[in-house]
Amino acid sequence: MPAPSSSAEGIELPDWLRAQWPYRPRYARVNGYRMHYIDEGQGDPVVLLHGNPTWGYLYREFVAPLTAAGYRVIVPDMIGFGLSEKPSIEQAHTLDGHIANLTALLRSLDLKRITLVCHDWGGPTGLGFALSNLGRMHSLVLMSTWAWPMPSSEFHTRMFPWRTMHAPLVGPYLLGRHAALVKRGLYLSVVDRERFRREAQAAYEFVLPDPADRLLTWAWPRWIPIDNAARALHRFSWLEEQLKSCTLPTLLIWGREDDTFNPEIFPQRFKALLPHAEGPCFVTGRHFLQEDSGPEIAARIAEFVNGHHLRAVT
Amino acid sequence: MNVSVCAREAVTHNDVRRVHVLREDRLAHYPEFRAFFVRMFALDDLAMDSPGYLRGPSGNAYELIFLGRSGERFPSGLEIYALVEALEPMDETAVDSDLWQILRWMFAGVGGEWSVDTLDETGRLYRIPAAILVDNDETRNSKPSTTGATS
Repeated sequence: MPAPSSSAEGIELPDWLRAQWPYRPRYARVNGYRMHYIDEGQGDPVVLLHGNPTWGYLYREFVAPLTAAGYRVIVPDMIGFGLSEKPSIEQAHTLDGHIANLTALLRSLDLKRITLVCHDWGGPTGLGFALSNLGRMHSLVLMSTWAWPMPSSEFHTRMFPWRTMHAPLVGPYLLGRHAALVKRGLYLSVVDRERFRREAQAAYEFVLPDPADRLLTWAWPRWIPIDNAARALHRFSWLEEQLKSCTLPTLLIWGREDDTFNPEIFPQRFKALLPHAEGPCFVTGRHFLQEDSGPEIAARIAEFVNGHHLRAVT
Repeated sequence: MNVSVCAREAVTHNDVRRVHVLREDRLAHYPEFRAFFVRMFALDDLAMDSPGYLRGPSGNAYELIFLGRSGERFPSGLEIYALVEALEPMDETAVDSDLWQILRWMFAGVGGEWSVDTLDETGRLYRIPAAILVDNDETRNSKPSTTGATS
């Protein structure tokens, strides 16, 4: 795989990747950083949020069906990932900072009646925006994520592999030097691994070619609270409290095979906070369920948003 | 050959180049790791007076630069530099393997719930070449040492 080349605006995609991700690159300044996003179609906005270590490409099978269904689809790359700027210091990344980055983008686009689709760190980030900008929101779709301070399953408290791979020096070595999350981690977290390796793996590796580019892949997991010393504890507590009074239409979609955010535990915890939420709809998928069930999830989102628009009209 | 702590004089000379190979900004993400380096390099006494030095199994030497950050206990971070012949390319495979052994040495030294076996298992899960080499070497009964000549 040839190394990516950069232009003044960002990384130039090679033809093989442009064929899968043909959308016009757009850039916004958010809190001093260059954020890449795509903005396709017309209608009420559906904003698709990725997490670690992915980028907008995760939603490549969502853009066409959602625009065809009559929606404006906006897919940002979080600062530190994809085609967005990748700050070189760990201290550049905070949960509040990522929420503020998203807020800067969505306010600069003056979006209203937003459906926010949240996956992984797109959950705490997207919900941070949604719950502090309720007047701009229409609905939520939550997939393989969380929004509370203490762990709901043992995965993030296990020594193997979670805590060990994020120990001091080990994180920068495994995830930085050896791209463990971008390579093996992604591969292990899909159901159809051979198809993923054949069709998608290279696109994730392409945008994080060097150890310094991969800083957020090891820095972000360390923000997941596993004890009372966690840095973002107060923000996660706030998210949980705000969700209890949130009445936004919500759809929960989970991978049946999800071994990161247990499908028997996490959706139920969201249901306890948001009793009106629809679902959980279970699809084939581990943590990166978009890779195994992209078209099916896109169709469910279109159906969900269409339904709530009709209810609002009638 | 295991990882050992060395005196500066034993590993540096005039015609050496420092190559940055690893950086950790949050040495106290789990506080026991920061405490380990404080203990091994007497940082409560020496603070920023001197870097630390290690020799890896390949024979390469490494300089440890301890980083301070206002508002955080020292050291808050750590940079590791390979010390190589000034005008010669670095042997990346040897350095990578040494770094893995330094991580194993660190885990053995931190102890408690942090086990070298779990680190090795994690390395194998993610197909880290040096971890797979260690797996092969284990059949020859090599174990990391937490001790060495202190400077």
